[in-house]
Parts: sequence; structure tokens; C-alpha cells
Amino acid sequence: MTRSLSSSVAYALPLALLAGPALAQKAGRPLPADTLRRRRLTEVVVTATRTEKSLTDVAIPVSVVGEKQIKSMGSLRLGDVLREQTGLSLVADHGQGIQLQGLNSEYTLILVDGEPLIGRTAGTLDLTRVAVGNIQRVEVVKGPASALWGSDALAGVVNIITQKPQPGLSGGLRARYGSNRTADFSGTLNAGGERAGFTLFGNRYSSAGYTLQPESGAATVPPFASYTGQSRFTYRLSERTKFSLSSRYFVENQASTAPTTNETGLTANVTLKSRQTDFTLNPTLTHRFAGDKVVATARLYYSRYHTQEAYTYAADGRYFDATYFTQAFLRPEVQVDYSPRPNQTLTLGTGYQRQTVAATRYDERQLLQNAYGYAQYDWTPTTKLNLVAGARYDGPSQYAGQLSPKLAARYQLRPWLALRGSVGRGYRVPDFRQLYLNFSNPTVGYSVFGTGQVQAKVAQLAQQGQLATDPTTGQAIIYQSALDQAGRLTTESSVATNVGFVLAPKLTNPDLSYRFTINAFRNDLSNLIETTTVALKKNGQSVFSYRNVTRAYTQGLELENSLQLPHGFAVSAGYQYLIAKDKSVVESLEAGQVFRRDPATLQTERVRASDYGGLFNRSRHTWNAKVFYENQPRGLTASVRAIYRGRYGFADANANTILDADNEYVSGYLLLNVAASKTLGPWLSLQAGVDNLTNYTDPAYISTLVGRLWYASLAIELGKKPVARTL
Amino acid sequence: MKNLFRPALLLATGTLALASCSKDDDTTTVTPAVQAQTVSSLSAASTTSSTGQPIAAKHYTFFSLADNKQVAYTDSNTTKWDVAFRGTTILTNSGISGPGQGGAQVYTGLFADLTTAPTTGYAVDAASALAIPAGSGKGWYSYDATTHIVSPVAGKVLAIRTATGKYAKLEITSYYKNAPAAPSATDLSGYYTFRYVYQASGTSLK
Repeated sequence: MTRSLSSSVAYALPLALLAGPALAQKAGRPLPADTLRRRRLTEVVVTATRTEKSLTDVAIPVSVVGEKQIKSMGSLRLGDVLREQTGLSLVADHGQGIQLQGLNSEYTLILVDGEPLIGRTAGTLDLTRVAVGNIQRVEVVKGPASALWGSDALAGVVNIITQKPQPGLSGGLRARYGSNRTADFSGTLNAGGERAGFTLFGNRYSSAGYTLQPESGAATVPPFASYTGQSRFTYRLSERTKFSLSSRYFVENQASTAPTTNETGLTANVTLKSRQTDFTLNPTLTHRFAGDKVVATARLYYSRYHTQEAYTYAADGRYFDATYFTQAFLRPEVQVDYSPRPNQTLTLGTGYQRQTVAATRYDERQLLQNAYGYAQYDWTPTTKLNLVAGARYDGPSQYAGQLSPKLAARYQLRPWLALRGSVGRGYRVPDFRQLYLNFSNPTVGYSVFGTGQVQAKVAQLAQQGQLATDPTTGQAIIYQSALDQAGRLTTESSVATNVGFVLAPKLTNPDLSYRFTINAFRNDLSNLIETTTVALKKNGQSVFSYRNVTRAYTQGLELENSLQLPHGFAVSAGYQYLIAKDKSVVESLEAGQVFRRDPATLQTERVRASDYGGLFNRSRHTWNAKVFYENQPRGLTASVRAIYRGRYGFADANANTILDADNEYVSGYLLLNVAASKTLGPWLSLQAGVDNLTNYTDPAYISTLVGRLWYASLAIELGKKPVARTL
Repeated sequence: MKNLFRPALLLATGTLALASCSKDDDTTTVTPAVQAQTVSSLSAASTTSSTGQPIAAKHYTFFSLADNKQVAYTDSNTTKWDVAFRGTTILTNSGISGPGQGGAQVYTGLFADLTTAPTTGYAVDAASALAIPAGSGKGWYSYDATTHIVSPVAGKVLAIRTATGKYAKLEITSYYKNAPAAPSATDLSGYYTFRYVYQASGTSLK
């Protein structure tokens, strides 16, 4: 997945991971002489504290992937960028998502310029919806951040920071073509004057898709085409007041035909035409009060996400089925940052969130509201110590109020060594299915109801005589305790600790630098949601709903190394060790209550606790190693990146529902990606690359690995080039 | 993780020690030897839909543990049968299902570990719940909604009281025809493979 060529691959570009983007600034931009940690201070992040803060000063683990690195990797969509980062694994679950610190994709909040992307129909936010052609950087905060960001920020937050208008007139065009007839075209336009600024980004992304298992008769990824348009307008109303208006539009169309079984059990070819659209509008007003101690920001965010799927018989176009999903999100928010002294910042924010959702399988349009407030105190009592304490309270209309505190500290033990640690709470509200689903399977006859409906629906089924009855009492068969639990479904939550250090020795050779970070994490999750049976139907099938029961933990260690070498070489390596387990399974194993049956001999044996491999779809070992090279005088760049994902559990094969045998794992694999670019004159550059060079595939188990992918691209940059922006 | 496993192993050893104790006790009291029987691919389904969902047979398949043979469904209102199968539902000859003195309880452990039949604690078939609870994860099987595969849960042994009040233990090992090692949605479901021990006199199931 590489596009882009770019003459501007930074000198230090390859230093992925924490240090990468920070060091990337080094070549391009001289820094104030008075800065203590010269050079590195330029890299600013906003996601960790909701205020601009130097990356090296934050007390919690944050990774930044800069524009130059994104371009040199040839990434097209957000997933391409994130899959090469330490500690992140790309997973497929109703869309492409990421697993962070061993938590599923629905536990990571995805933001664009600090505002959430919506459309998590089944929990995952599909990362292929996000084009990266106009991204300035991606910030990844690891560990819970609900204290600032509210729901979904259990595992962490991914914040996509888009380009802001730069002075002067500039623009660019980029075209890329590659395997599977994947074509990507994008254009940018930037205009910036004294007071006003404007950026425009347009992208078309299409592919013929691919088929990993032709015998199934269905494409793994059917052909699709998507368009993204994004703009930002900024206007300086006065020396102290700025206005900004951002908007984004995305549309994707996809069509496929696959054999499908209808209600009567007959199989026929059915054509699916699907369309999804996503629109956002985000005006923001910022005022810096006299004295420069108070900055106030007012934001309004509106977003609408819509999908629509039409199924017709391929033979004659007759109607087979149709579904839709519409979500609308409106949020006004005010934030005040007060800095009485340079070493203290108090951040206060409050907002109100109004969401509506309507879908084929929901009864009617549903309304969710949430009023919230957050506070954070960022204090640097000595030059060595930084403390950040914060808390957020959410009052969602459907659940009990949520208080999410967080405490973080960073201590500069030696000039080359900093310790950091944080403790915080994260939470996630149930997804829309868990709230509103009203679905009865026409073929098999079971029913599923979300928490909002389940009590009334079960009562209704009982009244209609659709539930099985107990002849001795004449009462309908309802599992009352499960039904009570389902009716009071509440949020999932976690308490997490992150502890580690950053080692960055000062080297005498300015062409040489090294940085090492280590972070140990532990997430204790409770009230995780699973399905449960709440009643029995007359047809022998069950009525299902959801309840909060599962307890789990994830813990591990993350290491990152980056080394900048003379002659334009940079090397980085990252590693994550991960353990993720269901606590009740661990308890059952300890009690000797878990068994397995050899599928061939049909003999049953007791499972030892040491055989438990933990939750499915988690790799104990993942690592990456990257080498980047740049020869600026010749306009040449090259990179080789190796990404390894260790074996992970796929599905149970010995009748105990847990992961405990070798044949329940998918083999580990290595992806090798290479790319090179060359500038041809001041405005033209070429890039070519191959992803998955070794052509690794595992069609039965990994639907996202398509095999070797080549690409070539051409870019034209016009006008004054707005590079090396650092805010 | 190491320290987490240590108490588990101790516990497991403890259970084994207890089991062997009771074994010794039993050998002194029980005389008749019992033999483990294996029944393969007993059909309890008429058809299977293309998604692998069993379409329930018209009648239950009645089975006598005492005689190790199938019983005609026309004998359903007699004590000739002990257990009956249809789809994933299993009846005992008790309560609303039959005139017998049957019943069942689900024992968690190894088949070999259940050496003595419990004499109390048997549930009988009722409309609100069968003695062998129906439903995924509740009784003897689990159903995977993604693969549509029904798997007998390992370590679930059915302690059965037969129609005539005798004791037996039964472990279901496959729900698919010819007990394939890795059943797929195309395998025929509703075919029971199980092993059982029937005790005509006393409680020893060793």
C-alpha cells in the first residue's frame, strides 16, 4: 500500500516510534537556542493533554507518525500507517480496525482533529474510510484516556491531525497505480494570506478487489471506489481571535455477487450494492485573552454517517433484502485553558452530545444524549517533575454517570533518563446493536433484542403466546435474572497502569542519536458485554440479549529503539510482549474445571493452566524493524520495513471454547515492505514499492493478506511547498 | 505467569488424590463389573439445512442404556427407554417426558473420574427446564454462531438415572455423522456418538 513519492522524506524519517517524528524535525528546522532538549522540542502533541505539549514532556506513552514517514511508507489509508507501528495489530471485525495493548478495535477512540469519527455499526470503526494524503501527523496515545476523551478511549486514542493552511499558494497532484487495479488520485490546494487561509483535499481511491478463496464463489474484497473531500478555512478575526471551519465528505460504493441462501433454504446468486457516506462539519473559535493566561476554545461538531445496502437476485434483479443505518452526531463544546504561571495549566471543558441512530433492525429512530465536563491540572513543580491529574464526568442518558479519573507523572532522573507512569480509568458505552437491536432470524427462528427493547419485547412475545410455557404453572418461560441483567446493561470499563522510562543519551557526534523507550502496561477490564439467553420460544429457539459479565486483563511490555546514523541511514526496531486472558477462564483452570477432547481419538483430558493461550486473536510476540535511507543531494530515498506478527489464536478446535492447543493457532508471519523514491527536478518525483515482498498468504485464516502488491506513483508539487510544519 | 499456575497444579493434584480415595472405597462395596459402551452416529436428525443448522426430526430417537439399543418411538410412553435425542435436545424418561423414574445431572470432570453415581441431586424433565438443560453452554454442548458448529463441551458427563431407577454415566463426544475430527457446516449434524457406563445394580460406575 504505498503511494507517494516525495522529495521531502526527512533526514531522520525512519525513526518511527516515539522518537521518529521528533527527530524528523531536526534536519529541516533550527530551534530556539534556549531549549534544553534542543531540536526535539519541536514535536508537539495535542492528544495526551488536550493542550499543545512537547512530545518529550508528556507523561504517558504517545507515538507520533509524521507526514514524511507516512509518505515514504507509501500509505494510502489509515490502516496502512497504523499496521507498521509497534504495539498495533491490524484486525478485521466488521471493518478494518486496530488492536492496541491487546484490546479489540472498538476500545480505541478514532479522532480527526480531536473530533470523533462516527459509524461504528458493530463496534469497529473501519480505518479504510480515512485517506492519509492530507495528514500532517497521526498521534497514538496508549493507555486509557477517558479522563479527557470519554467513551471508547479504553485502550487508547488515535488522533489524525490534518494539514492547516500555510502562507502562500501551493498545491500538488499525486497518482498511484498498483496490483489489483488499485488506483489512487489525490490533489491538494493551499492558499494562505494575512488573515485568511484555505486548504482543500480531494481523493479518489478504487480497486478491483481480490478473491482469496475462489471456490467460495464470493470475492474476499469486492471492487469498490471511494471519494474523499476535505477542506479547512481559517480566519484571524483579530490578533487574539481565530476562527476555523473544517468539513469532510466521504462516499464509497461497492458491488458484489455471491451465492446466498434464502429463508426457504434455497441458494441463489445475490447481488449486493452498498454505499456509505460520511459527512462532518466543524467550526471552531479560539480566543487568547489579554495577559496570555487564558485561552478559550468553542467547538461545534456535526457528523452524519449513513450506509445503505440493496440485495437483489442476480438472475432477474428481484428484491432480496435491503438494509440501512443512519447515525447523526451533534456536539457543542467549550474548553478553557488557564495558566496562572508558566509551570501550571488548568484545563476545564464542558459539552453536550446528541446522537440519533436509525437502522433496519432497530425499532425507530433512537436518541442518545450525554452532558459532560472534564478538568485537568498540569503542574511542573520542579524542572524535573511533571504531574498531570484529570477527571471527566459523563452523564449519558441511558446509563449511570461515569467518572473517569487519571493521574500521570514524569520524572527526569538523569539528563538522559526519564521515568514515567500513569494510572487511569477507561470506559465504553454499549454499541448500537447492544442497545437497540430488534432482530428475529427468519430461517432459524431465534430473536435478539438490545437492552432498550428486551423487557418490552419479551413481555410482548409472552402476550402473543410466542414463548414456551410451563404447563404446570402456565407461565411463559423467562429467565428472569438474565432478563434483569439484560435490561440494565451498562458500560464496560477498565483500570489501567502504564510504567516505563525513556533513555536518550546525548552523543557528541551530531549525526548520531539513539533513543530507547520501554513501557509496561496492565489493563483490568470488567463488565465486558456478552450475549445471554433471556427466554425460550415456542419453536424451541432462544431469545437473546446482552449482559455485562466478562472480566479480563491484558498486560505486557513494549520496547522501542531508534538509531540515527551518519550518511542518511536510520534504523528502528520495536517489540511488544502481550498476555491477554479471561479471568473467569483462569479461575476455572485453577479449579481444574476445564477439559478438552482430542478430536481424533475423542478422549477427554483436563487442561492445565499453563496450556491456556489467552484470548483469541492476540499475538504474544510482535515486532518490527525498519531501515530508512535518504540521500538529499541526489533526491533519493529508500526504505525496507519488516513487520512480524507472532502466532495467535483463531478458534477452538477441542470442545472447550478456549485457546489451549497448537492447532487452534494461526501461524506467525513476517511482512516485508520496500519502497524507493527519486526526485526528477524541483517539482516532479517518482516512487515505487512492493508490499509483502515475500508474497505471504494464508487464505483460510487471514482475509486481509492478499499477497505481493506492487505500485508506482508520480507526484507533482506546485508553488511554495508547505513542508516541515510544526504548528 | 508462573506463580499463577502453581496453585492450579496443586489443586488439580488434590482433586486426583480425592478421586483415588473414593475409588478404593468403592472397590470394597461394589460387586458387579460394568462395561463402557460406545454408540456411534446415532441419528437424531432428519435433514440439515445448507447452513448446517439441524432441522429437527419429527420424532425423538429413543434409546435404552440397559439394552444398548434404539427403542421405537411408539414405545415413548413406556419405561423401555432411558434417554431420547432430537436435534440438540436430550430427554430423560422422567417428568413431562416419560413415565419412568429417570433423571439426570451434569457432572463436570473426566468420564473416568465419575466412579460412583450420585444418589441424590437428579433433576427431572419439566417444561421450564429439562433435566439435561437445553441451550448452548448450558448443558452438554456449545454452539458457535459463526461456524454454526455444535460441539459437545469437553468435561461434561451426564449422570443419568434410568427409567427403572438404575444409574449410568454418559459422555457425548460428537454431534456429527462419523465423528469427524474437524466438523464443518457441510457435515451432517444430529448424529450422536457417545460412550456410557450402565450399572444394573448399585452405584459403581468405575
